[in-house]
Amino acid sequence: MAHAVISCLHANLAALEAVLSDIDQRGITTITCLGDLVGYGPQPNEVVNLVRERSIPSCQGCWDEDIIEGLNACECSYPSQLAERRGHQAHQWTAEQLSEENKAFLASLPMTLRRDRLLFVHGSPNSQHEYLLPDMDAFAALERVQTADADTLFCGHTHRPYVRELRDGVIRVRVQTPADPQAAAEREMALPVRRIVNAGSVGEPRHGNTHATYVIHDEATGNVEIREVPYDVERTCRAIVEVGLPPVFAWRLRHGFEYAERADDASHVCER
Amino acid sequence: MARWALVSGLQGDLALYEAIQRDLRQLGRVDTLFVLGDLIGPDRDANALLDRLQDPRRGELAPQCIYGWWEDQLLAERGYRGERRADPLRQQFGQAAVEALQEAVDPGHLAWLAALQFGFIELDCALLHGSSADVGDWLGPESSPLLLLDRLTRMDVNRLFTARSGEQFCVELAGGGIASTVRDLAGERQLQQVVPQRKVIGIGGGLRYSLYDPGSERIAFRSVGQQPGSRGRGFA
Repeated sequence: MAHAVISCLHANLAALEAVLSDIDQRGITTITCLGDLVGYGPQPNEVVNLVRERSIPSCQGCWDEDIIEGLNACECSYPSQLAERRGHQAHQWTAEQLSEENKAFLASLPMTLRRDRLLFVHGSPNSQHEYLLPDMDAFAALERVQTADADTLFCGHTHRPYVRELRDGVIRVRVQTPADPQAAAEREMALPVRRIVNAGSVGEPRHGNTHATYVIHDEATGNVEIREVPYDVERTCRAIVEVGLPPVFAWRLRHGFEYAERADDASHVCER
Repeated sequence: MARWALVSGLQGDLALYEAIQRDLRQLGRVDTLFVLGDLIGPDRDANALLDRLQDPRRGELAPQCIYGWWEDQLLAERGYRGERRADPLRQQFGQAAVEALQEAVDPGHLAWLAALQFGFIELDCALLHGSSADVGDWLGPESSPLLLLDRLTRMDVNRLFTARSGEQFCVELAGGGIASTVRDLAGERQLQQVVPQRKVIGIGGGLRYSLYDPGSERIAFRSVGQQPGSRGRGFA
């Protein structure tokens, strides 16, 4: 059976509608959402309402958490202090717009969802804020999946879709103790094959294209298809400007580019 | 090059601390004393030891302290950790232990304890109570090598010293590797990674402590008490 995994909707209704339409056209009825329903985008209530109407099981993302709990993360993901200020502006606007009912819904979302040996999280099993990047240390990546007792870990947060298979792993260790410090015992650990599937982003793609992304996983074959879906980007961009959110968010959507603001303050180093 | 003494699990025992200081004086050539947490515990009044750690006597090595699991529990219960309370302690040892721990430490010491750091990074070594994941993380010689490697990677160091388990050990990552395939919208690529040469060292606790020479990487496991056969033996 095929199921779809979507993530990082970011209050972009046009993108969500296009992705759900793409999923429907394929006859897929099981959808899982990895969080960040809101933030950056201009339609937080509309997006949350649609997820609720469709009864899509969702994890809580970092934006969802921050809207409920207040900003408490380091937010080093911001490429500059200016970008951070804009992010805070978006946070405040979103918090003001969201209905109490929708805030309660976001507060009710679990950190993880599990289906047999499949685990669904926003960032990583450790934290909604941890990035599992495609080229990260392979042992650390495997540890996240293995410690969570899963075969395949579905995550989002990076806004860049990918599938990573970790295999042929082995670690040899030499252990010394006071009982016999000169004789080191050696042992070897064969590591299991595990996968990380990043669903990319529906509402704020950052993979170098403007299309929304999500993944389709076939549980029978194990195949993962990364889908790109075009949508009416201009509709969302106009709405961003009309509601008074920073225009750079619209610029970013038009380019599908992550570090639109990096040049503003390239020296930013978070010291919190 | 400096030689370090690494101590933990004193749990308020001033006599034990003085015994370790005497042992260090007899040894000589130790110029830095790290106390990796668990300065306090529920079993005895810790105030005299805390006074001494903050105000060393002449001729003693001045300790560089971090907080451990017991300090973390006390600080949580006393409101220094936001909304968190000493629930792990309560679940593990009961309410009586929570109360005994609070009794063991005068409130006048709380500000000093709250100012202690999670760990130190010195000369490519992470000096921690538990691990880079958590102050309560329990690493021992039988811990999963994947877990040990992860804890090293999180701190981006080649040597990690841990005290939480109270065990003395050295686990050296001695080889291996992993392959991975990454597929994204740009295509597919193969990645290979080898296990880096790294070590996790358990320094012991209470009577048992360790010496480390960062220049030669020589470790010596020592004991100032009744652990037979462990006194003064070491390896490179």
